Amino acid sequence: MRLNSQLLAAAILCATLIGSAAAAEADKNTLSQHTPDGQPNVEGFWLTVVYGMGCLQNPTAGVGCVEAGEEPGRGAPGKPRPKPPKAASRIVDPPDGEIPYQPWARTKQQYLLSNYFEPTKPEFIDPQQLCLPLGPVRQLTWHDVHILQYPGYVIFEHEGGHVFRIIPLDGRPHIGSSLKLWMGDSRGHWEGNTLVVDVANNNAKGRLSRAGDFADDALHVTEHFEFLDATHMRYRAVFDDPSAYTRPWTFGFDMKRAIFGESNPTKDDTHYEQWEEACYEGMKPVDYSLRSERGGETK
Amino acid sequence: MRRIILSLILIAPAFGQIPRTSDGKPDLSGIWQALNTANLDLQDHVAQKGAPAGQSVVEGNQIPYQPWALAKKKENYANRATLDPESKCYLPGVPRVTYIGLPFQIFERGDLVTILYEHAHANRFIYTNGTEHPKGPIDWWMGDSRGHWDGDTLVVDNVHFNDQTWFDHAGDFHSEDLHVIERYTLLDADHINYQVTIEDPKVFTRPWNLSMVLYRHVEKNFQLLEYECYGFDLEQYYP
Repeated sequence: MRLNSQLLAAAILCATLIGSAAAAEADKNTLSQHTPDGQPNVEGFWLTVVYGMGCLQNPTAGVGCVEAGEEPGRGAPGKPRPKPPKAASRIVDPPDGEIPYQPWARTKQQYLLSNYFEPTKPEFIDPQQLCLPLGPVRQLTWHDVHILQYPGYVIFEHEGGHVFRIIPLDGRPHIGSSLKLWMGDSRGHWEGNTLVVDVANNNAKGRLSRAGDFADDALHVTEHFEFLDATHMRYRAVFDDPSAYTRPWTFGFDMKRAIFGESNPTKDDTHYEQWEEACYEGMKPVDYSLRSERGGETK
Repeated sequence: MRRIILSLILIAPAFGQIPRTSDGKPDLSGIWQALNTANLDLQDHVAQKGAPAGQSVVEGNQIPYQPWALAKKKENYANRATLDPESKCYLPGVPRVTYIGLPFQIFERGDLVTILYEHAHANRFIYTNGTEHPKGPIDWWMGDSRGHWDGDTLVVDNVHFNDQTWFDHAGDFHSEDLHVIERYTLLDADHINYQVTIEDPKVFTRPWNLSMVLYRHVEKNFQLLEYECYGFDLEQYYP
């Protein structure tokens, strides 16, 4: 009897240890932690799985979705670079993977694209080249984002150009509709492990890619940050702008817990610090009137 | 016993005047702004066109420049319209970002105080987790900030600056050896006493101090907006 008791105790102990180990492993892979104010704890550094913003349909290709090494306006370089693998379109709806531009908007997008490398007007310059905020969605495709959680808030601190977004979770109304911001005005709430963010007040001056893709300032974005586990997140942003598109469409991609420059997801980024990335400093006013006025460089 | 109770009654209102975090530290969370003209000139200054008069925020109203540095400050002042880094919209450094004239939001918790500024979307991470400054030399615009609590005062030690920022529009400047010690102390729920010690043996003969009060924005739904501070005529680029 005593032997049986010892065996039973050992079995229980063993089962407990195995269970603890399994639970510990599960903790690494599931969102088991919450912040003191009850948010799922997703704090850390996140990075898009497929890096690149040349175009949305094939993010790893060059501007205008041409393959790398065949950039329009510059001609193929003497030694073409190796072609990166084709990535999934970031336009996950509609099914054809194209932005449903209205005719005038498609014309404008093509116009901006065709003038990307040889700008003859200042407005052809992608604001990203001037270190301006990229807008709430494209900013997520550039370097990593440090998600910080404070009581009542989620903060996105983007490494690219130290641009930030403050997302209140208290249900307050948006600011006045005539106020337009580069990063828009964000309001968020949690639905389980999904952070839902409503972004209004977009000035829409930032482009969506380097291929001339854009929105108008009637843009309203609804974002879903679905945290699948401790290291993976699925991002979807519905673009609703009846002045530019024929229907709402969805910009989406997956993100992983990772630091820019490191390819593998990281489960422990607690000691990493985001250091200063001053971008605008040193910028000089550039005479982009320029190519048409500089004689020999005119097309 | 009666004396103790009386003492507690007297102390209680004062103790309850400042908000505190769950771990008992003064809670600086909120949106704050300096209401003074220190960004124009840290010292006493008379009114000029577009620049109102203001009282000094410098202790003793004297910045103890070395002789060569005083000459440079005067040269900076004479050419401030074009030389002030603010006119180029560069990150303004510390402590100028505090009193540059726009609101900023403090987010506080035990290991990290984050400050986000409306001006040029500047940001600061003030690590209060016991870590030390990274090894230099590093020439950052906003420096490296490490904080700790001294009683009810948040003390922030800042090093690793470049020599490109000014303290104000009047040409007050520093070298890359700048060392800034900030002290944030809640006077009550809506006011912070902000004290700063400036050290830079390359430029000054001794450390010097400035202080001012920071005011909490209490307007309903007040929030930070954006001031991208275009250094050149950007509106023509993106109408």
